[in-house]
Amino acid sequence: MTEPVVAETYVLFELAGTAYAVPSNMVQQVQMVEQITPVPNAVPVVEGVVYTRGRVIPALNLRVRFGFEKIPFDMRSRLIVVNVAGRTVGLLADTAREFVRIPASSIEPPPEGISGLSGKYLQGIASVKGRLVLVLRLVEVIDIGDMDALVTEPQQTD
Amino acid sequence: MSNQNSDNTEDFREQFLEDYYAECEEHLVLVRRHVLAIEAQIGAGSIDVGLLDELFRSFHTIKGISGMVGFTEVEQLAHSIESMLRSLRQAELTFNVELLDGLLAGVALMERVLGARQTGQSIPSIDATIRQLHDLSTSAPPQSGMAAPLHVGSRPTTSVRRWTVTFTPTTGLSERGINVNSIRDRLKDMGEILKATPLVKGQGEISFQFVVESIVNLVAIEDWQELGVVVLPADEGATDVVRPALPASPSNLVRVDLARLDELMRMIGEMVTSRARLEEQIKHAKRSLPSSEWRSLRETTQVMSRQLRDLREGVMRVRMVQIGEVFERMQFVVRDLARESGKRIILNVSGRETEIDKFLVERMMDPLLHLVRNAVSHGLERPDERVAQGKPAEGRLTLRAMTIGESVVIEIADDGRGIDIETVLDRAAERQLLEADAEIDNARLLDLICQPGLSTRLEADRESGRGVGMDVVKKTVETLSGTLSLTTERNQGTTFRIDLPLTLAIAEALIVSAGGETYAVPQTVVREVLEVEPSSVRALERNEIISYRDGVLPLLRLSRVFNLSGPAALPDRPFHVFVTGAGSSAVGIAVERVLGHREIVVRGIGDQLVQVPGIAGATDLGDERVVLILDVPALRKTTLQKSAGGMPAAGATP
Repeated sequence: MTEPVVAETYVLFELAGTAYAVPSNMVQQVQMVEQITPVPNAVPVVEGVVYTRGRVIPALNLRVRFGFEKIPFDMRSRLIVVNVAGRTVGLLADTAREFVRIPASSIEPPPEGISGLSGKYLQGIASVKGRLVLVLRLVEVIDIGDMDALVTEPQQTD
Repeated sequence: MSNQNSDNTEDFREQFLEDYYAECEEHLVLVRRHVLAIEAQIGAGSIDVGLLDELFRSFHTIKGISGMVGFTEVEQLAHSIESMLRSLRQAELTFNVELLDGLLAGVALMERVLGARQTGQSIPSIDATIRQLHDLSTSAPPQSGMAAPLHVGSRPTTSVRRWTVTFTPTTGLSERGINVNSIRDRLKDMGEILKATPLVKGQGEISFQFVVESIVNLVAIEDWQELGVVVLPADEGATDVVRPALPASPSNLVRVDLARLDELMRMIGEMVTSRARLEEQIKHAKRSLPSSEWRSLRETTQVMSRQLRDLREGVMRVRMVQIGEVFERMQFVVRDLARESGKRIILNVSGRETEIDKFLVERMMDPLLHLVRNAVSHGLERPDERVAQGKPAEGRLTLRAMTIGESVVIEIADDGRGIDIETVLDRAAERQLLEADAEIDNARLLDLICQPGLSTRLEADRESGRGVGMDVVKKTVETLSGTLSLTTERNQGTTFRIDLPLTLAIAEALIVSAGGETYAVPQTVVREVLEVEPSSVRALERNEIISYRDGVLPLLRLSRVFNLSGPAALPDRPFHVFVTGAGSSAVGIAVERVLGHREIVVRGIGDQLVQVPGIAGATDLGDERVVLILDVPALRKTTLQKSAGGMPAAGATP
């Protein structure tokens, strides 16, 4: 039982009642949602831009990204600033709760039944303190290429 | 009338005071530089007389100009220091560490008085320091070996020496019967006049210079100044006074208001736009011109384009100053802190000549001071602690500056105890900023120590000084589009690194509102702002036009282009239109209101997700909220494409 456990720390956040995890080494900071400046004609998933550490970065609304209904931001809303693939992007979540250590061995691959977009950005599923946690593949989450197709298609029928 | 008059006087005095503070600051910069050089020479046993002369001159000027503005405290301090320096120059005193401390105390107090004057705070008392300086000037030089008395130069005081005596007559003096003849007579009594030459200075001012050989120490005679006479030693100095290669004295510098440079930049920006227009017109002229003429025209505009770029760079260069001035100030801080805390510190400075935008330097001063204070107060250990750890008793503090590509890097490094990560983590856990046994790296650690109020031992600093904490340091760096990073290792030390852009893109901008949002519009592209009555807008197919000068102007409603659903302006309320482009390519961009006009710092928008047509960048107006900068040429193009063929624009018909 004393054999070393390979574990990484994750930041847990919540979205529409489900817990998600992103590797904490990719998280630059977690902050309250304050001033978001909307960017005209940007894709809907882009809520706007914010300042962080003197840089102007996009804030992505994860609810829009994952196909949930938008809700207004409140005191619990959090902006999770992540550094992925050379980019710095803010992710808007309902709330971000804690840092947790998840042993690699306890992350199960996503069930094959999940396909399409959800399958693509899901790295695995873990159980933390009896709760189900979806571990995200951040590179896929912030790659909005697939979303582009989704949003521009209906407009072309205009 | 009299009221207005006194307003003018007040204005004049304000203006004058501004110059006064700037001039004092310039002299204090020189003073710091010279004092540091002297301090270095105290160890070497002999002090360069030239440095004393320079110091004397600076304090003499400060005394003079302080008298003019009626700041008696500064005047008195300068006078006391001047007296002390005079005694030193006359070798009546020897320069030792106590005198140096007295001098530094005087300078520090002078800075505080000036600061208090400038900010309208209560003036600190100068009595104690004046007494200290007076005691130092009059006491016999300590001959005990402990203070290692130093001799100024190597100057025999009993032999015959040469002096240069310069007399400048004024009407005031001649009323008191003092003229060139009376001075000559006095000098004759004291020694032999070898040479007398009249000197004509600018503006018709005449003075007389005598070279006098005398066994009397002429400088020691106190009333010279009242007689309009300046005496300087002219002898042996020529061979054994080594003048250090000092940077130019203030007289070679021109003070320029940054706003004027920005104005120049704006004009250059306008020229760039005009040149682009010219190129466009030349393109159109291709058909109607012989090809050789057309080619030479085009070549000329290309040369002009290059010249404009050089001009722009030239103006940018004027904004750059060497960081050495900042580092010198730090040396003083370190010196004071070392003395107060009983720590021994060797300060290494490199990259003084690194150039950085003046705007940045001024804003970085307090953060740098804070980091240096921190390094000394919290980073470096006391000598006994260091020795116990097998480290040299002297702590090492390094200030480094360098230019890397388009950024300036400033590092503040100490070889002290390193940041106490456990304590920081405990505090963070207490405040529930992270879980108790979380992993932590340098970036996260930096975030934590920059949380307001989290710093472990910074409270004392807040009291002692300028009220800047790590949170402010970080925020300042970030506001200037820079980054702050940290490396720290237990008992090895801590290094803070600041990366700043070489220069900031600063632009004049109109601030406008449209659809409930605020935008910035670079002023260089705005030709005119109009107030338009809704009733004067004419619809033409899908376009809107207004009459403008002798033609019509296509209108682009920003809220429509940007699909802004915010509260629309009342339909019958007049709105603002800014005109951009000239002739047939002019377009009016309609907003709700032009709110004002200000200088903004332009930041790029890096991420592909937010690079949208019509937006050129971002800025903030000081409230942390991002304000987008309009890409006006792009907006204009969309309008023109949309309306192409639809209708004749203003001035399109010849």
